[in-house]
Amino acid sequence: MPTTIIVLVVLAVLVLVGINVYNRIVTLENRYQNAWSQIDVQLKRRNDVIPNLVETVKGYAAHEREVFDNVAKARAAMTQAKSVDESAGAANMMTQALGRLFAISEAYPELKANQNFLMLQEELAGIENKIAYARQFFNDAVLQFNTVITTVPGVFFAGPMGKTKHVYLEVPEEEKAVPQVSFGAQA
Amino acid sequence: MTLPEASSAPRLPDVLTDPNTGRRISLLDWQAANRRASWVLGGFMIALLAAIAYLMALAIDPAAAGTFVVIAVALAVAQSLGAYWFADRLALAVSGARPANADEHRYLVNVTEAVAIGAGVPPPKVYVIDSPAPNAFATGRDPRHGAIAVTTGLTQLLDRQELEGVVAHEMAHVKNYDIRFASMLAATIGAIVLLRDVAWRGMVYGGRSRRSSTSRSGGGKGQGLAMVLLVVLLVLAPILATLLKLAVSRQREYLADATGAYITRNPEGLANALAKIRDYAGAPLEVSEGVRHLYFTNPVKRLNVAGAFSSHPPIDDRISRLRRM
Repeated sequence: MPTTIIVLVVLAVLVLVGINVYNRIVTLENRYQNAWSQIDVQLKRRNDVIPNLVETVKGYAAHEREVFDNVAKARAAMTQAKSVDESAGAANMMTQALGRLFAISEAYPELKANQNFLMLQEELAGIENKIAYARQFFNDAVLQFNTVITTVPGVFFAGPMGKTKHVYLEVPEEEKAVPQVSFGAQA
Repeated sequence: MTLPEASSAPRLPDVLTDPNTGRRISLLDWQAANRRASWVLGGFMIALLAAIAYLMALAIDPAAAGTFVVIAVALAVAQSLGAYWFADRLALAVSGARPANADEHRYLVNVTEAVAIGAGVPPPKVYVIDSPAPNAFATGRDPRHGAIAVTTGLTQLLDRQELEGVVAHEMAHVKNYDIRFASMLAATIGAIVLLRDVAWRGMVYGGRSRRSSTSRSGGGKGQGLAMVLLVVLLVLAPILATLLKLAVSRQREYLADATGAYITRNPEGLANALAKIRDYAGAPLEVSEGVRHLYFTNPVKRLNVAGAFSSHPPIDDRISRLRRM
């Protein structure tokens, strides 16, 4: 009789632990998906703002064709990207193209005095910043997820649940410096 | 989303130096310790309140002791609930904060939204205080109801990374539930003070009338002892409670600095912001005493010092801790 009780208690504890671990993995998987969509939202917003910016800059520097072409290419790559990797690659491309766009704009004082341009510039700087933070949050989510599914007891659940490690997003070094603009006077 | 093999982990500065022991401690452990301390302190406050009420009852009318304790605790709970619901609106109104305009304060709103993404919390409401003195505060009972108020002076003085640091520090207060805890603690202290004032009146007037009517026979030794204890408690309790509240407040400033540095992955930004604010020599921000502890640095400059009576640790100390991360 006591043996039955002990077996039942052990079983009950095992079931409770199992439910807990299962829920933890599902929660972290959702956080991972949500972290990705945070990045995605910002990337889409950036793509929406870019045509306005390009139009404004063209008004002052129409002959800088190469720069506009690069932006257009990166934008096309963004819309065609399907996997996380492709999106991240296209996003990096876009960040670099925009960096050059802002770099050439330095040579056009009238452009730099344009109120609309300044607004768009701040908007894009803001979005770049949000992408950087969203990426950081994404990597945090990956770290948590990977830790849980590779340590005991999560590791016993990962296989049956069909979960494998997620991949971190690498941040290109040069990106951290672009675009650097001072907005002190605006605020 | 199809994903290839995992690559190397990014370095996360989530291991910090514990201000009390000097040992390295993980941020999550620190936050958990903070929450435990909150429960212990909250329980202690309620116990203190109940003790005062009980002694009051013994001194005045022993038969009603239970009722006294229940009424006192109910009073504290009611005040705490009031603080829970209204502290944020009150703090914003008292500080003359107005909602940030999406166009006019685009920069500030962008910074706040970015930091919120990094912290993994919903973006808080952003408010602006028109003052050249650089400062900021946060309020809100939980991350869903968070609000951050920033002076116009702060947005002008700091660059983007520094402003991110300050906003992240404020967001950390909301995320760590510091605001809720501080406002409920303040409400409990308010209840103790209220009780003290009631008892004071009771002893002055009640005592006089009893002496005249029941001169020699009344009271007894138990009642006399309760009276002495009560007087001691009534004098000491508000001071003790305030000291405890301030000690907690200082610890939480360090924790919010550490959390802010963690959210932005950039302790230097926050350290530079603190240095700039320390060196600001213009007109100070006029802030009523009740909400000073909420601010990024104490608006009264000379109150950012070491000591049992200050709400914020010395700015230089905060800077050196950030630079050591």
